Amino acid sequence: MSNVSRDRLLLAVAIILAGIYLFPLYWMYITTIKSGSEMFATPPTFWPTDPQWQIFGNVWQSRNMGRYIWNSLAIACGAVCVITVLGVGCAYVLARYRNIWVDIGLFLILMLQVLPASLMVTPIFVGFSQIGLLNYPRLAVILAIAAKSMPFFVVLVRATFMSVPQELEEAALVDGNSRVGAFFNIVLPLARNGILVSAILIFMQAFGEFVYSKSMIQAVELQPASVGLNSFMGPNTNEWNNIMAYAAIYVTPILAIFVLLQRRIVSGLTSGALK
Amino acid sequence: MTAQIELTNVNKYYGAYHALKDIELSIRKGSFTALVGPSGCGKSTLLRSLAGLENISSGTLKIAGEVMNAVPPRKRDVAMVFQSYALYPHMTVEENLTYSLRIKGVAKAERKKAANEVAAVTGLTHLLGRYPRELSGGQRQRVAMSRAIIRHPKAFLFDEPLSNLDAALRVHMRKEIRALHDRLGATSVYVTHDQVEAMTMADHVVIMRDGVIEQQGSPLELYDRPANKFVAGFIGSPAMNFLPAIGGQDGRSIILDLGLKQTIALGRTVQPGQALSIGLRPEHIELAAPGEGILSAPVALVESTGATCFLTMATTPELSVVFNGRSVARAGDRAGLNFVPGSMHLFDAETERRLPG
Ligand SMILES: Nc1ncnc2c1ncn2[C@@H]1O[C@H](COP(=O)(O)OP(=O)(O)O)[C@@H](O)[C@H]1O
Ligand SMILES: [Mg+2]
Repeated sequence: MSNVSRDRLLLAVAIILAGIYLFPLYWMYITTIKSGSEMFATPPTFWPTDPQWQIFGNVWQSRNMGRYIWNSLAIACGAVCVITVLGVGCAYVLARYRNIWVDIGLFLILMLQVLPASLMVTPIFVGFSQIGLLNYPRLAVILAIAAKSMPFFVVLVRATFMSVPQELEEAALVDGNSRVGAFFNIVLPLARNGILVSAILIFMQAFGEFVYSKSMIQAVELQPASVGLNSFMGPNTNEWNNIMAYAAIYVTPILAIFVLLQRRIVSGLTSGALK
Repeated sequence: MTAQIELTNVNKYYGAYHALKDIELSIRKGSFTALVGPSGCGKSTLLRSLAGLENISSGTLKIAGEVMNAVPPRKRDVAMVFQSYALYPHMTVEENLTYSLRIKGVAKAERKKAANEVAAVTGLTHLLGRYPRELSGGQRQRVAMSRAIIRHPKAFLFDEPLSNLDAALRVHMRKEIRALHDRLGATSVYVTHDQVEAMTMADHVVIMRDGVIEQQGSPLELYDRPANKFVAGFIGSPAMNFLPAIGGQDGRSIILDLGLKQTIALGRTVQPGQALSIGLRPEHIELAAPGEGILSAPVALVESTGATCFLTMATTPELSVVFNGRSVARAGDRAGLNFVPGSMHLFDAETERRLPG
């Protein structure tokens, strides 16, 4: 087989795989704008004959989505802030000091990462309720998410810091700066991309978080969009187009961020590995 | 002359590893001092201790008369040029140059003026707006130098600044650094593993091995009177020949052991029977007609660069000989050898120290 035909074959395989992965997304958008009867038609149509664009506005209004999205945003931003502020310092220390305790610390951090949220939620719930944190349910969720996602962030950002040569910092020290000054002047600007990318990944995770929010936030007006979507789907639901519209409104901003920043995200994740 | 940098009894440990051992060093104001030695001998450790990037474990370190043992780098007022140059990648050349001034709070207009002045000296004027990644290796080196010069520090510290450049540029920069040093009247400490660099650039050469200063002095002192075999072998290129010998019974001769025994009269006394190592620089051996000279040996190899000729003699151990011009002897010929009078270095074979006298 020649090179050209092999490349074509691989390309075809890649397209088919991408198609399989992206099909649910396509189906979500397409179902959203189908009319009630077209939705249940057999055979299903792959392009709606009569697109129902007004459904987005209707669902936004009727499900009070503004409030849900706002709550999701608040939780995601809160979690990103907590994680970034605490995680950057932690990652820097883990990047600059090599000894047995740092290795043990890293191991523990990675171990935290493998514990699933559904397992952690019960002890966290009990603990938070005892110290009264559940009276501030969104803060409680922010803290829980921060605990859950911090390891991921620390490991990524540590790699970024390690790619900044220590000699640059030393040059800044000799040039008259303090350690703190050298960190903010030299190290942080050079690690900015990696930190930004990691923060965006954390944001996306937190924006879609469900387990902690569902179990800790009882008040409807404080629930994020993920919980709102879940309560939309009762046992006898048949308004799939509305649910899909909800989902579409919910995920499109995240998808947009990802598509817009994908170059930076990919290069940010590999910048430590290359060069 | 006053000492700008003074180290007394300085030791440095990395955990259990003893990296610097009882360092005694006094660096004159305005001098160019080279720290030279094989890789891993502690040159960088010593330099970094001067800069404050490492803390010494014991002893005293004074810069311009003040004890600096526990003073952080930013308060030592020394400038360092790193082997990797350590230019700030997110700053332009001008920002790199003026970074230290910015930290000191110097006004913007003044910083610009200082950058222009230094750039004119080092030939960077047209590059001030560029980023380090847009520069060649030689240009980066110049930026690193300029970044140090702009500060007028108490001392310049160089850590193998030329080792990332190609050979031709290295020779050129050698002269340029030395010229800059003279022009600024600066005090410089220059780390290198290249003895030629140390010999050609420095007024004072410090030779280190395994954390110990083996000898220090002017380049020619080290060349003429190496204190031990290590220094003798380290200084000079091609390296000194070492020949096993024992003191003759009359106390005024040695018996060389080059496969066959050869007695050579000395202008000095030795202990009869003492095991010796005779150091002879290749440039201090002269070719004589076959059958003449102190000894005669077959030629193993002739290498010529046109101007200089390198001969290897088939003795055990091998002897190398260097002279200017062309060789009449060819590989396989026998040749007579003469030693330049007074050029023999006598070392105790056991302690490897130079014999007194
Ligand atoms: N941070 C460190 N921790 C432990 N050992 C070190 C450290 N830095 C240097 N060393 C050791 O100290 C010795 C001297 O190193 P260095 O001063 O860098 O040598 P060089 O003369 O090549 O510049 C080496 O054996 C090196 O392994
Ligand atoms: Mg070194």
